[in-house]
Amino acid sequence: MISPAALIRRAAPVLACIGLLAVWQVASLALKNDSFPTAIEAIRAVPDILGDKEALINILASLRRMAMGFGVAVLFSIPLGLLMGRSRAVAAFFNPLLMVIYPVPKAALMPIIMLWLGVGDVTKTLVIFLGVSLPVIYHSFEGAKAVEEKMLWSGAAMGLSPLQRLVRIVLPAALPEILTGCRTGLVLALITMITSEMIARQSGAGNILFNALDMGQYDTVFAMIIIVGAMGICLDAIFERIRARLVRWSEPQFDMPLSFS
Amino acid sequence: MKVVPSRSSEWVRPVAPQKPASAIIEIDRVSQVFQTSARKDHLALSDISLTIEEGAFVSILGPSGCGKSTLLYIVGGFVSPTSGAARIKGQAITGPGPDRGPVFQEFALFPWKTVLGNVMYGPRQQGVRVSEAEAQSRSLIEMVGLKGYENFYPKELSGGMKQRVALARTLAYHPEVLLMDEPFGALDAHTRTRLQNDLLNIWERDRKTVLFVTHSVDEAVFLSDKVVMMSKSPGRIRQVIDIDLPRPRRRNELLLDPRYQKYVVDIERMFDESDEAGSAT
Repeated sequence: MISPAALIRRAAPVLACIGLLAVWQVASLALKNDSFPTAIEAIRAVPDILGDKEALINILASLRRMAMGFGVAVLFSIPLGLLMGRSRAVAAFFNPLLMVIYPVPKAALMPIIMLWLGVGDVTKTLVIFLGVSLPVIYHSFEGAKAVEEKMLWSGAAMGLSPLQRLVRIVLPAALPEILTGCRTGLVLALITMITSEMIARQSGAGNILFNALDMGQYDTVFAMIIIVGAMGICLDAIFERIRARLVRWSEPQFDMPLSFS
Repeated sequence: MKVVPSRSSEWVRPVAPQKPASAIIEIDRVSQVFQTSARKDHLALSDISLTIEEGAFVSILGPSGCGKSTLLYIVGGFVSPTSGAARIKGQAITGPGPDRGPVFQEFALFPWKTVLGNVMYGPRQQGVRVSEAEAQSRSLIEMVGLKGYENFYPKELSGGMKQRVALARTLAYHPEVLLMDEPFGALDAHTRTRLQNDLLNIWERDRKTVLFVTHSVDEAVFLSDKVVMMSKSPGRIRQVIDIDLPRPRRRNELLLDPRYQKYVVDIERMFDESDEAGSAT
């Protein structure tokens, strides 16, 4: 049996969603503004978008770019972050560079990148890549730095070479921290994906949103916001599941360690 | 300045250069200088020479900050000395190797591996087949008293259990010398006593050479054939004392043995005297 407290805890996210929609509905009815459709109108428009072949192709194209940008960023950033964390020379070289890039909004670089690489997939994927890289590098760096020296010594005594130690000790030891960075990176990938499509309007989910805005189809605009938000929540939930499985060893299964010497 | 009376008896003797045929580790005029943040050099170890015989249980005993762990790390190849050299079987030590197996106070287990995975790590790295490595590891886990915990992760274990896993993990790749760096320092008194007993039982089976760093006088006397007493600032060897007590040693018998008590009391007194001499200057 589920206790009442557990039931409330489980139902909480659903209740929060319903609450938000209710507030939206009431606010919209009260304001009576054309550009602010009611929640029900917006939700009704969702199946229209998802049923439209053109729109689906656009959304899938967005997701493909996002996956590409995210994947390449992770493959590039984890090794770099780990190397920075274990080598003072590598860190001394890259840290100032990253500090300069860090506060720059990646979308602000887009006009220049568009000038060089056009408005196509390469530009948008590159912007996503830039958005994802920094948190992944940062967390990999911090994770690698925190790896206990004695753990590496233990590996060295077993005969692991420096490269083997990086791959087989630093990488797994830093994995919880790395995945925290990847989770932030995933959300940033979604944000930069939409932003890039706002700036280079050619295809994609962001393009549908802004075209609808131009044409005054406000229910479609809000429906797209709901779809993008839902995509973000789903991706995050899937990622969290994978993460929890990969780093099960780092979270205690018992509240107290077994008492036995 | 207070004059420290020099003490001597038949078993307390100053460091004497000795070269027995069975020497496994030789530490030859090793000094270690660390640069502190104030750009001042700190002499952690000063001109240490020591020979360790094969099969001996040798403790390095001293106050914190005397460089005893640094000395162990130099033998392990984890730290290279500023001057001097350490040798194993006549070969200069240039880095870590599976012939010297460390056991650290911090356990340093691989948290993403189970108990079995941790113990199998060394043999697998050495190219032992999975089935064979697993069989060996399981019997080692049983030997350290952790049968039934093979599939537990380190996070789920108490400190004492973690140190048992660390010992089994190191024994699994058959190092010739065990390097133990205050291995029981992080454990409570009761657990510590149990692990000391179990370590002796395990050690008495195959008598591997052990270099054991500790700041506990009882622990050093109880376990060792030889106690190397160090003093600090700079880290030097004060005295090397042979512990001439029968083996196998049983704790309850030993604690009542006047010879054991005399070793403990005399060593403690020597440390006290050096403290007084230090504070008087």
